[in-house]
Amino acid sequence: MKQLMEKVINQITDQKAEADLMFSSAKTLKMSAQKNTISTYNVSSSQILGVRVIKDGRVGLSYTESLDDESLKLLVKQALQNAETTEVNAHERILDLAGTLQDELFLPEEEVSIALKTEKALLLENGVKKLDHRVTAVPYNSYSEQDYLSHYLSSRGRFTTYRDKSYTITSSAVMDEKGKKSNYYDFHMAHVFKDLNFQKVIDTALFHSRNLLQEKTLPTGKYNIRFTEDSLQSLFNCFSNFYSAKSAMDQVNPWTNHLGTEVISKDLSIIDHPLFERSFRTSKFDSEGVQRKPLSLIEDGVLKSFYHNSVTANHYKAQTTGHAARSASSPLGVYGTDLLIKGKNVKPLPKKYLEVIKMDGLHSGANRVTGAFSVAVKGYIWERGERVGTFGNITLSGKFMDLLRQVEVTGTDLLSSTDESFFSVPLMFYDISIAGSN
Amino acid sequence: MQLIQPQVIHDVIAAGISAGADFVDVFVERTFNDGMVFKNSRVEDSQSGTLFGIGIRLIHDEQALYGYTNSTDREELLRITNLLGARINGKGKDLTLNFEKLSYPKIPTMLDKEVDAKYKLSYLKNIDERLRKDSKVSQVMLNFTKKKQLIEVYNSEGLFATEERPYIRLFHHLVMKDGNLQTEAFYGPGAIGGWEFIEKLNTEEVCENLLKQATTTLYASPCPAGKMPVVIDNGFGGVIFHEACGHLLETTSVEKKASVFWNKMGEQIAHSAVTALDDGTIAGAWGSLSIDDEGMPTQRTTLIENGILKNFISDRLGELKTGHKRTGSARRQSYKYAPASRMRNTFIQSGEYELAELIGAVPNGIYAKKMGGGSVDPSTGQFNFSVQEAYLIEDGKITKPVKGATLIGTGPDIMSKISMVGKDLQLMAGMCGSVSGSIPTTVGQPPIKVDEILVGGQA
Repeated sequence: MKQLMEKVINQITDQKAEADLMFSSAKTLKMSAQKNTISTYNVSSSQILGVRVIKDGRVGLSYTESLDDESLKLLVKQALQNAETTEVNAHERILDLAGTLQDELFLPEEEVSIALKTEKALLLENGVKKLDHRVTAVPYNSYSEQDYLSHYLSSRGRFTTYRDKSYTITSSAVMDEKGKKSNYYDFHMAHVFKDLNFQKVIDTALFHSRNLLQEKTLPTGKYNIRFTEDSLQSLFNCFSNFYSAKSAMDQVNPWTNHLGTEVISKDLSIIDHPLFERSFRTSKFDSEGVQRKPLSLIEDGVLKSFYHNSVTANHYKAQTTGHAARSASSPLGVYGTDLLIKGKNVKPLPKKYLEVIKMDGLHSGANRVTGAFSVAVKGYIWERGERVGTFGNITLSGKFMDLLRQVEVTGTDLLSSTDESFFSVPLMFYDISIAGSN
Repeated sequence: MQLIQPQVIHDVIAAGISAGADFVDVFVERTFNDGMVFKNSRVEDSQSGTLFGIGIRLIHDEQALYGYTNSTDREELLRITNLLGARINGKGKDLTLNFEKLSYPKIPTMLDKEVDAKYKLSYLKNIDERLRKDSKVSQVMLNFTKKKQLIEVYNSEGLFATEERPYIRLFHHLVMKDGNLQTEAFYGPGAIGGWEFIEKLNTEEVCENLLKQATTTLYASPCPAGKMPVVIDNGFGGVIFHEACGHLLETTSVEKKASVFWNKMGEQIAHSAVTALDDGTIAGAWGSLSIDDEGMPTQRTTLIENGILKNFISDRLGELKTGHKRTGSARRQSYKYAPASRMRNTFIQSGEYELAELIGAVPNGIYAKKMGGGSVDPSTGQFNFSVQEAYLIEDGKITKPVKGATLIGTGPDIMSKISMVGKDLQLMAGMCGSVSGSIPTTVGQPPIKVDEILVGGQA
């Protein structure tokens, strides 16, 4: 593949332009079950090559899934043509980096038979059904595996390889009791087959779905809220533009002019950590071939840095932080890696609070420019350290930045999201608006 | 010229049948994408690309086996087919096919006029300048996308069907700021067709509406919370039917009993004021298709008539598993997805009331003028929607603007509470994400009155 990429780069440099290429390929297997048989069985192999050319300061992008000579010539031609339609961008350049970097995670494992994979895929449906007669369907269940490979090559000579193998299992439990319905979904990921925890996924889906059958609405009012790590991760991901220098450049980051100021509770510190030892997958370099390192975003409540790629860094006369993000078919942007939310000044739990385990509608119910959000939530009612009920059919609303001021730290251990890419100390949010019964 | 040698397809299908499949189809796709992002009053990105791939599906009993690749190589395609076929415990047979090209009525598109990049740029600059005349506008982002999808469908019944689908969309995103207050407004019209569609947009009106929407929400008060009647205006208001009911009528959910409506055929599932359709045949509409992704000519399907459930949205597997006839609704984002039963242009049919009559029938509630997106869990029917532009209704009159409203509830409940349906039907383009990827769909409705719904706002 490197030779093919070099050939394309040479075609571009012959036109007195600079360029970088992204190649990615994936081989996948996915199965899901219905009525105790494998109802869908998908296999695939796919690839895509994307190019970013910079000619006379103008940037053009193009991509193709066909890698024959004719398609590659068209790829170069289109990228150069697209560059002609843009204006000169003084900040966008191919970084002057050379040399090879590798980030491959292929853990050794014994070959797993397709029969065993099938048996386990079936378990994700029948394992749920057999444990509770109230389960009427397991609509979301799957076993999947993926071999993923990507390369980056620049006209300055940087070549990177990223590769891994991963497995994902999902299950759910739709339950019906006297016409009252509930559903909960869970998943697990691993780098080797034997580490997949099938029973955990089944038990988690059943446990929460059973409890959600009892859900009751709550009176409209202000409540103390604890989010599970997955719910909290959804919120932080939704408002990731708050840490983005690209969003700041685009005037859609409400913290644009707040560097060096206290933006959230001074009990909290937020670190972007691409190399955290507990992460499901660390990441050694970004999509411009820049080596990554941990970045302090917020320290004791004070905004310390944004995510930068080389373009935003040039714009703000800063250094790239190794957060360039780009796929073969998308333009250069910025994106974070794994987040660590650390805290100090630990306080006791309040006597009464709600634990949010499920949050729906964040994709449409959040305003990333203002930080306002309103979402449907479900979860548990806790009193004096005991779970005393289940709530649902209510909405929770607020502003992301306000939320992070109305917070107290209630523990010191970093707890992980299910996908092991988000870690936070336990947090309690106070006086949060809930809309429910009148 | 065909995208791949028919003989290769023949051999692939024959291999699938020989392995014991009851049915085999092959989906070949070449898609040309073209896009321009105009931001910060300049072209930020100009991009084009070609997607190409082949999807192979084997059906045996109720089992679907699917594989895809970018390669046209006969051996690779046979390798994938044999890999899938090895999963079947059936008796194979020999098959010889003569593909017959399907002829079908073509849904009219808004032509496909090409314009050069300079022309596009001047068009986008004009919008940007108009919007920025308001000094409170801090950002304008215009995302122009154009796609030409060429598809070929072959199957073991000898079908060969092909369609060229041109898509065009211009997404407007406006950010407005006044001191510490900030808000945004969106508008994303799209159609099956070319530049003619963009030229027919009334730029002045589009800009005026965006500015009005942003100005209104910038200074709006927080929305009150609680259960109350809501009047939802036309156009994108239809997202409520799409999410609260449409997804629950797709056989993809019905076949797994993962829809609360799976056993309700012929029953009253909505208020008698509601008649709803899923129509793939509307000329130029964003969700229209001449044929679906299984090569079946698309249809106009009555889903609910006067509140009674009449049809599900069905594809080949849906028919096989539920017995409900195919409706020309098999759709997918690309060759990377097996087809599934999906909505096309879905809307509530016009009723008899003026908007003012609906508002006048609400003593105290909310007028949702413009809806945002939403989502649904088909298995429980629970949905949520955001409202982009909303106003209080007090004593049957629209009063002050409010912001931050979310509507939540369950499909069966809300369908029974749509008690009044207005006259003025309007359709709007959107993207729908589900089991077979993200596809263009149209939502729509006339104004409707929902007697009671939980509004999430500030407590």
